[in-house]
Amino acid sequence: MAAVSQLQRQFIEYTTSLYNEGYLDDQYTQLQKLQDESNPDFVVEVVSLFFEDSEKLLNNLATALQQKIVDYKQVDSHVHQFKGSSSSIGAQRVTNVCIHFRNFCEEKNLDGCLRCLQQLKHEYIQVRNKLEGLFRLEQQILQAGGSVPMMESICTSASTMSSSGKLSA
Amino acid sequence: MTGCRWQHSCQAVKKAGDSPGTFLSGITQASVGCLSVYNNQADRVLVGMASAVTRMLGQISAIASSSGRNHVSARRRRSSNSNINQEEFPCYSVCVARIAIMVMLAILIGLLTLLTWHFTKVYTRTSLNSLAHGLRYELLQRPLLRMWKILNSTVEITTSQVRLSEYVIRKYGKAENQAQEIELYEVMRDVTWALFSSRKALNSMSIKYRNGFVQAFHRDLRDKNTYYIYSNLDNYTMVEPYSMNRSSPHDQGWNDQMIHGNVSAVWYREPLDPDTGRKTGKQKEIPPDELINIAGISQVPDGAASWHVAVSKFTNSPLLSAALPVWDEDRGSIVAVVGVTTALYSVGQLMKELVDLHGGHIYLTSQKGWLLATSSSTPLLRNSSSGPTLTMAEDSQDEIIQSAAKWLNKTYHDKLPLNHEVLSANAILGDQRYYIDSFFLNLTRLPMVGVLCIPRKNIMGKVDAREIKTFIILISASVCILVVGCICIFILTNGVSKEMKLRAELISHLDARRKAEASSNFKSQFLANMSHELRTPMAAVIGLLDILLCDDSLTNEQYATITQIRRCSTALLRLLNNILDISKVESGKLVLEEAEYDLGRELEGLVDMFSVQCKNRNVEAIIDLSDDMPKVVRGDSGRVVQIFANLISNSIKFTTSGYIILRGWCENLNSFSPNENFYVDQRALWSAYQKKIKRNEKKSCKNDNTMILFFEVEDTGCGIDPSKWESVFESFEQADPSTTRLHGGTGLGLCIVRTLVDKMGGEIRVVKKNGSGTLMQLYLLLNTPTDIPRESYRLKFAQHNLKVVLALNGKTSRSILSCWLLKHEVPIWEANEWNELTHVLQELFKPTYTQNLTYEPLEAEFLRKEGAKMAIFIIVIDIGMLNITTDIWKEQLNFLDAINTRAKFAWILNHDTSNTIKIELRRRGHLLMVNGPLYKTKMTHIIEAVIKESSLDQSKKNIMWTDAHATIQIDTTHTKSSNDSEIPETNSVGSSHIEETNQENFAVYGVVSNFFPELTEVGSEWGRVTSFPNDNSNSEQQVDQKVKTGQKDLEGLYILLAEDQPILQRVATMMLEQMGAKVVVVGDGVQAVEALNTQKETRYDLILMDCQMPKMDGYEATKAIRKAETESVSHIPIVALTAHAMSSDEAKCLEVGMDAYLTKPIDCKLMVSTILSLTKCRT
Repeated sequence: MAAVSQLQRQFIEYTTSLYNEGYLDDQYTQLQKLQDESNPDFVVEVVSLFFEDSEKLLNNLATALQQKIVDYKQVDSHVHQFKGSSSSIGAQRVTNVCIHFRNFCEEKNLDGCLRCLQQLKHEYIQVRNKLEGLFRLEQQILQAGGSVPMMESICTSASTMSSSGKLSA
Repeated sequence: MTGCRWQHSCQAVKKAGDSPGTFLSGITQASVGCLSVYNNQADRVLVGMASAVTRMLGQISAIASSSGRNHVSARRRRSSNSNINQEEFPCYSVCVARIAIMVMLAILIGLLTLLTWHFTKVYTRTSLNSLAHGLRYELLQRPLLRMWKILNSTVEITTSQVRLSEYVIRKYGKAENQAQEIELYEVMRDVTWALFSSRKALNSMSIKYRNGFVQAFHRDLRDKNTYYIYSNLDNYTMVEPYSMNRSSPHDQGWNDQMIHGNVSAVWYREPLDPDTGRKTGKQKEIPPDELINIAGISQVPDGAASWHVAVSKFTNSPLLSAALPVWDEDRGSIVAVVGVTTALYSVGQLMKELVDLHGGHIYLTSQKGWLLATSSSTPLLRNSSSGPTLTMAEDSQDEIIQSAAKWLNKTYHDKLPLNHEVLSANAILGDQRYYIDSFFLNLTRLPMVGVLCIPRKNIMGKVDAREIKTFIILISASVCILVVGCICIFILTNGVSKEMKLRAELISHLDARRKAEASSNFKSQFLANMSHELRTPMAAVIGLLDILLCDDSLTNEQYATITQIRRCSTALLRLLNNILDISKVESGKLVLEEAEYDLGRELEGLVDMFSVQCKNRNVEAIIDLSDDMPKVVRGDSGRVVQIFANLISNSIKFTTSGYIILRGWCENLNSFSPNENFYVDQRALWSAYQKKIKRNEKKSCKNDNTMILFFEVEDTGCGIDPSKWESVFESFEQADPSTTRLHGGTGLGLCIVRTLVDKMGGEIRVVKKNGSGTLMQLYLLLNTPTDIPRESYRLKFAQHNLKVVLALNGKTSRSILSCWLLKHEVPIWEANEWNELTHVLQELFKPTYTQNLTYEPLEAEFLRKEGAKMAIFIIVIDIGMLNITTDIWKEQLNFLDAINTRAKFAWILNHDTSNTIKIELRRRGHLLMVNGPLYKTKMTHIIEAVIKESSLDQSKKNIMWTDAHATIQIDTTHTKSSNDSEIPETNSVGSSHIEETNQENFAVYGVVSNFFPELTEVGSEWGRVTSFPNDNSNSEQQVDQKVKTGQKDLEGLYILLAEDQPILQRVATMMLEQMGAKVVVVGDGVQAVEALNTQKETRYDLILMDCQMPKMDGYEATKAIRKAETESVSHIPIVALTAHAMSSDEAKCLEVGMDAYLTKPIDCKLMVSTILSLTKCRT
C-alpha cells in the first residue's frame, strides 16, 4: 500500500500545484464534487467534452481570423463560448486569456487577437497536458487499488489543509 | 483571524485599485495628446476663418495663412510632447485676425480717401475746365469778333465810299475842263472826308483815280494827326476812262508800274484838324507812297473787293487794307480804286485788355502764320532791308507766342484740324503749363487763326494748390482714422482674444472633464468587472465552506475555524458588493425598483438586526418613527434598507457606548410645522429641500402623493470633524484615516448612501449636534400609493384603560416610548432596574400584592368583581432586568408571579437569552415574549395582543389561563428585513410554537406566521444587501443545516435545460440531478420551444435557459414560449443563465419574460434557492 499512498501524495501535490499555478480553480473542485458512484467518470467525461469543444473552437477561431475581413462578432461569440466552457471546467488561465481576447475583439485589434489566439492555444495545450497527467495519475491510483483523494479542501486555506490531510488519511 | 482576513481583503482591493491607477495615468497622458490635437484643430479653424476673411487681400492673406499653418504644424509637433505653449495658439490666431482686419480697414480707408480725392478733383476740374473753356472761347471770340467788325466796317466804309464815288464821278465825270475836274476832286475830297472822319478806326482812306490822281486821308496814329494827302494835279491829264476789258485784264492801261514809274508825281500832305477836316497846316511835299499804301488798280484785278494785310512805315502794326474799284456808269470800266486801311492796333489793344486779367497771350495770325495781332506789346513787324515786314508767329519776339506757335506746329505738323480749332489744356511752354486754344476765322479773302494761351496756373492754380492741400488733409485724416480704427480693433479684439482664450480654456477643460469622466467610467467598469470576477470565486468559497460545514466528521475546533472563514468570506463578499454597487451607480446602471413595501417594517427589521450587534457593544439601538409615517410606500426597499443599514452600521462602528437612534418623520409637501421632539435644526435641510422643490415644481405638482420622508441617524460615537462633513461622502474617504486600523472599512458605505439618496431625489448631510456623536440628516422623496388611506391605523389605546410599566434598561428608548405612550394617553411608569421595578410594582399592586400572598381565591373574586372596569396592566420587562448570572432570577420571577394574574407581562428577550430562561418563563405562564429592541410597532403589537387577550378573557373567563402553554413570540423581524441567518430561527421557533398554540391564540397571532412562506424567496440576494457578520454562531450553524437539508430539495422537479455548451450542459445536469431533479437537456432555443410543445403530458416545472445559444437565443426562445403561453393560463418559470452580471442584462432577461436570473459559473446554492422559490410559488 506504500505505493498507493505515495501515488496519492503525488496526486495531491500535483493537484495542489495545478491550483496554485492557476491552471484550475474551484469550479473544477465543484465538478469533482458532482462526481459520485452513479457517475464515476463524470469529470473525465466533462473534461474530454471540453477538449473536443475547445479544439473545434480553436479551429474555428483560426479560420475566422485568417479571413480577409475578420468578422469580429463571430470571433467574439466563439471566444465567449470558449470562455464559458473553460470557466465551467475551471480552466482558469484559459478563461483569463479569453477575457483578454474579448477585449481585443471589441477593439477590433487583429494583432491582439492573433496573439491571444496563440496564447489561448498554448494555455489550452498546457491545461490539456496537465489534466491528462492528472487523469493518468488517477488511473494509476485506481489500478493500484487505492481511492482518489478528495480535492475539495486543497484549494481553500492553509488552516483547512490539516483537515484535508486528515480526510485523505 | 477576522482582522487578518479583513486586512487581507482590503489590501487586495487596494492592489486592485492601484493597477487601474497606473492605467488611468496612461490614459490621461494619452488624453493630453488628444487634447492638444483638438486645440490645434480649433486653431486651424481660426486660421481658416482668418484666411477666409483676408482672402480679398490676396497675397498678404496667403502669406499669413501659410505661415500660420507652418506655425501650427510646428507647434503641433512640439505640443505632442508637452502642452506648455497651448495658450499661445488662440493668441496667435487672434493676431492674424487682428492684422487682417487692420489691413482691411487700411485698404478701405485708403480707397475711400482716394475716391473722395479723385471725385473732388475730377468734378472740380471738369467744371473748372468747362468754365475755363468757356472763358477761353469767349476770350478768343471777342478779338475775332472785333476783327470781324473791323473788317466789316472797313468793307462797309469802302463800299459806301465806292458808292459815293460812283455817284460823284457820274455827276462830275463829264468834266470837260480842269476846273470841273477840280470840282470833282473837291467834292470827292469832301465826301471822302465825311466818311473818313466818321470812322475813327480807319487808318487811311484813299482814292486813286484812273488818271493817277490820288486823294487820301491818313491818320497818323503815332502823332495823332490827320493828314490829307493828294498828288499834284498838274501832273495828270484828263484821261479817257478806263476801258475795262474783262477778258484781258493785263492789258489794262494803267497800273502801278505806270504810277510808280511816274516818279515825278508830287504828293502833298497837309495836316488837318481831325474834327473838322480843315486845313491846319501847310502842305508839305512828300514822296509818293511814302506814308501809306494807296490801293491801285492792281489790287482789284477782277473788280471785286480785295483784302490784304499791309505793312506801313508809320505804324508798327499791320494794316488791313481793302480795295474796291469804282466803276463808271455802265460798269464798263474802272474809274477809280478806293482803298481803305484799318490798323489792327485796336484789335491788339482789345486783346491786351482781355488777356491782361488772365496773364495770358492771344494772337491772331493769317492762315500762313503771319502775325496779325498779339496781346503783347512786342512789335509785330520786323525791320528788314525792304522795310518792315510781317513776322511769322514762330519768330515773334514774345517767347510765349513763339513757343506756342512752335508747340502748335510741332504738335500738329501742319496737319491742323480742318477748321484750325485746337483745344489743348496741357501745353508746356517754357516752364509753365498753358492752355492753348485756337480758332479759325474764315474770311473769304483773309482767313485768320486766333490762338489763345493762358497759363494754367492762372485758372487752375488755386485748384491745383487746393488739390494738394486737400490731398494732404485727406491722407492725414485717413491716417488718423486708420490709427484710431486700429486701436479700436486692437482693444476690441483684445477682449475677443481674452474671450477666445477663455473659451479655448473652457473647451480644454470640458475636454479634460470628459476624458476624466470617461476614465472614471472606465474605472467604474473596471471595478465592476473586477468585483464581479472576484465575486464568483468568493461565492464558490462560501458555498464550499457551507458544504464543508455540513461535514459531520469535523472536530469542534475545525468547525469553529471554518465558521470563522465563512464569516470573513461573507464580509469580503459584502465589500465586493459595495464596490459593485458604487460602480453600478457611477456607471448609471443602477435601476431603482418601483414596488410597494412597508417602510416602517423594513426599518424596524433593520434595527432588530443591528440590535444584536449593539447589544454586544452595550449600545442602544432605537428606532423612532413618527405615527404619521405612511405605512406603505413605493420604491426600492432593498436600496432604502441599504442606505440605513450603511448609516447604522457606520454609527455602530464608531459608537462604543450610548445609543443610536433612527428617527423618521414625514412632511407633507406644503405644510411644515417644526416638531419640538426633534431638537435639531431642521431649517437647513428644509430650506435645501425647498430650493430643490422650486426647481422641479412641475414634477412635484404632477405627483401629488409624493412624500418627503425625513430621517435622522444619531449616535453618541466619536463624531465627525466639521471640516470632513462633506468629504465623508466621497469614495474611499474616511473622517479619520486612522480609524481604518481601528474599525476597518473602506469608506465606501457613505458614498453608496449618498449616491442612493441622490438617486431617490433626496439629500443627505451631516448636521451639528449637541454633545458628542454624529447626526446625519437625510430626506427621501418616496411615492405613496394613493389608494391607501394614511390615517387608518391610528391607534386608540386610551379607551382600553391601559396602564403600562416600562422596565427597560435602555434609557433613551424608554423615554422615547414613554413619550409616545403618553401622547396616546396611556399612563406609564418607568423603571430602570430591578429594584426600581419592584418599587413601582409594589406601589401599583400594593393591595393585591398582600392579598395575593396570603389568599389565593380572593384574587379570583377580585377579578370577577372588578371585571371590565379594571385597568389592564402591561408590564414590559427587559430580560436584562433579571440577574441571570446567579440563580436570583428565579426568585425575581417568583416575585413577579405574584402579580402575574393582575397584569400582563411582556418580556423583551435578547438574542442570547438562553432557552432555560425562555422555558422557565413559558412554564410560569409568561407567554408574551418579544425579541428586543422594543419599539413602537412592537409595543403596539404587545398592547393589541394584551387587549385582545383580555377581551377573550372576558368572554372565556378563566378557562384558558391554565392550559395555554404556548408561547408567542411576536417576531417583527419579518421577512424581508431579516437576513438569511435568522430565517431558520424564525422558521423553526415560529412553526413549532404555532402548532402548540391553541385556536384562539392562533387567531390572535396568526399575523405573525403569515410571513413564513415568503422566507425562502429571500435567498442570497438579501444576503447581498443586508448581510453582516453575525456573531451568533448558532445561526451560522442553522444556515448550514438548512443547506444540508436542501440537498435533495429539487426532488421530483422536472427541469428543462436549454444550453448549447456540452460542458455546461453536463455540469448543470449533474448539479440538478444531485439535487434530485429530473433534467431534460436541449441544445438551443428552437429545441427548447419544441420540447415544450411536444411533451404535453409531462409538464416541466422549470426551464433553465442559456441566453446565448445558436439558432435561437434565450431571449427569443423565452419570447416564443411566453407568446405560446398567452393562449393557455399556465406560466412556466424560466430562469436565465448568463455570463454577464450587470443589472442591465437582468433587466433584459426580465423584460422578455424570464422569472429569474443566474450567472455563470453556476452557483449551486443560489440555483437551488432560485428554483425552489419559483417552483414553490407556483405550487
